[in-house]
Amino acid sequence: MSSGTELNGGGEVAAFRQVSKSYGPVRAVNGLDLVLRPGETVALLGPNGAGKSSSLDLLLGLREPDRGSVTLFGGTPRAAVQAGRVGAMLQSGGLMGDVKVRELVKFACAVHPRGRGVDEVLRDAGIAGIAERKVDKLSGGQEQRVRFALAVAGAADLIVLDEPTTGMDVSVRQAFWASMRAQADAGRTVLFATHYLEEADSVADRVLVLHRGRLIADGTSAEIKARAGARRITFELHSADGAADVDEQVLRALPGVVALDVTARIEGVRTVRIRSTDADADVAGLYRAGLFPRGLEVTGLGLEQAFLTITGERDAEDAEDVQDAEHTASTEHTGTVKESVR
Amino acid sequence: MTTLIRLEILRTLRNKRYLMFTVLYPALLYVFFINAYSGGEVAGGVPAKSYFMVSMATFGAVGAVLTGSAQRISLERKSGWTRQLRLTALPGRAYTVGKIASCAVTTLPAIAVVFAIGAVEGVRLGAAQWLGLGLALWLGSFVFAALGVALGYAAQPDAVQPMVMIVYMLMALFGGTWFPVSDSLKAFARFNPVYLYNQLASFTLPGHTLDTVAVAGLAGFLALFVAAAAHLYRQDTKQA
Repeated sequence: MSSGTELNGGGEVAAFRQVSKSYGPVRAVNGLDLVLRPGETVALLGPNGAGKSSSLDLLLGLREPDRGSVTLFGGTPRAAVQAGRVGAMLQSGGLMGDVKVRELVKFACAVHPRGRGVDEVLRDAGIAGIAERKVDKLSGGQEQRVRFALAVAGAADLIVLDEPTTGMDVSVRQAFWASMRAQADAGRTVLFATHYLEEADSVADRVLVLHRGRLIADGTSAEIKARAGARRITFELHSADGAADVDEQVLRALPGVVALDVTARIEGVRTVRIRSTDADADVAGLYRAGLFPRGLEVTGLGLEQAFLTITGERDAEDAEDVQDAEHTASTEHTGTVKESVR
Repeated sequence: MTTLIRLEILRTLRNKRYLMFTVLYPALLYVFFINAYSGGEVAGGVPAKSYFMVSMATFGAVGAVLTGSAQRISLERKSGWTRQLRLTALPGRAYTVGKIASCAVTTLPAIAVVFAIGAVEGVRLGAAQWLGLGLALWLGSFVFAALGVALGYAAQPDAVQPMVMIVYMLMALFGGTWFPVSDSLKAFARFNPVYLYNQLASFTLPGHTLDTVAVAGLAGFLALFVAAAAHLYRQDTKQA
């Protein structure tokens, strides 16, 4: 039952092709193109409202796309669910009340076409100790683990988790990721949405960044960081060192510079902050240009900063688009280019 | 699918508050009515103990299926349990079938307890009539289970609760639950499923047979409620 051997659709676990979905005026998913391959552990990142949950709903067939197509194992999501190839843990996945944890998990195993043993599932989810407790009497973190148990109640090829660790404390969260890694090691493809970036950084082989319904980054955690400018270089230039009149162009011409910020708060001292994909070459270049950087610091950017940078860039671009649009709208209003606009 | 149905029945029987409300409440009301009429007759010459045995059995049955299906479905839609179920291999209808089955199980004690009190209080029927009456009232309750499913998919929990109460109380008030429907109101009562439901018992009266008009009317309501429930269910799966 290992993945890869019996996959349809040319080794694709899941595929989004030009998928869009709107709720009224809100475009939740906008032209999403994405393929998941067998055995990958994929993190789906994005700020609130980026379209993460909507994308997962489309993937699982809980909603229909307005445009484009979503396939799971080469067929419809519903067919994959019926064949027991997908296990999922939803963010808003309520649980049945008035039953014990064991009864609920047993039910999930029984209705799954590839159902596993109840005790095995309880152990994997770390809930063997609360198996006799009523579902209504669980803490938030315990509920999450019961939901996880429902997602792994059968030997699915793909496991989808929507913000799985919300409500878990730190130690429980670590145990959770350990059991999830065991699922990935068993050859399953795992897709999880999260807003804890350290989880994406430490668990995922591949990171997707979703922003306003669009996929704006797709790569390994290292690639995402590199794209955002992986390191920050800060130093001061003092006019006493004869470098006060250095042209910013010199700094801008350094290799790998993604962002440059120069402030002069104190007379004769300029503080320079550079975000760069090639910090080593930049430091060498500073000295080669005859500069004498003081208080030189080179620090690594976490995925969190990389994420903020990438989404921030996109926001800035969007803001420009809006300004352009407003500009066009105002000219349209005056009637000068009325015909050429549309 | 039987796994889900079994679990639904189990959890319903475990819910003590629900059982109290659906089984004990109509039984207590029945005792109250018998004492209030102190062995007399209601309008139309039927002994109060017979009349209210039927009307309290139907009152309990309708209450059991309406709250059991409408409120639970609406709550579980809100909590996301119905979404979670859609990620299992179970067919979509399994959930509603399970709800109706668990309702149907709880209507039996609701009817049986009231019948038992009736027998103790001196309602005399033949064995076949007891059995036939129980069966008729039990089958009739499915009409209201379908209505409950439709209401459960119609609105959010905070709106469903008052909706159920209003529908239930109005139907009971003008359906002969608290007092016999007067002749002037009978023209309207034909369009009240609770009235038709109560009429199912008329075959136990001397010189009466099964009220086929009531049976046909209930069948019509059943078709209507099932169609509404199916429509609302499909709408819900599109939105959820």
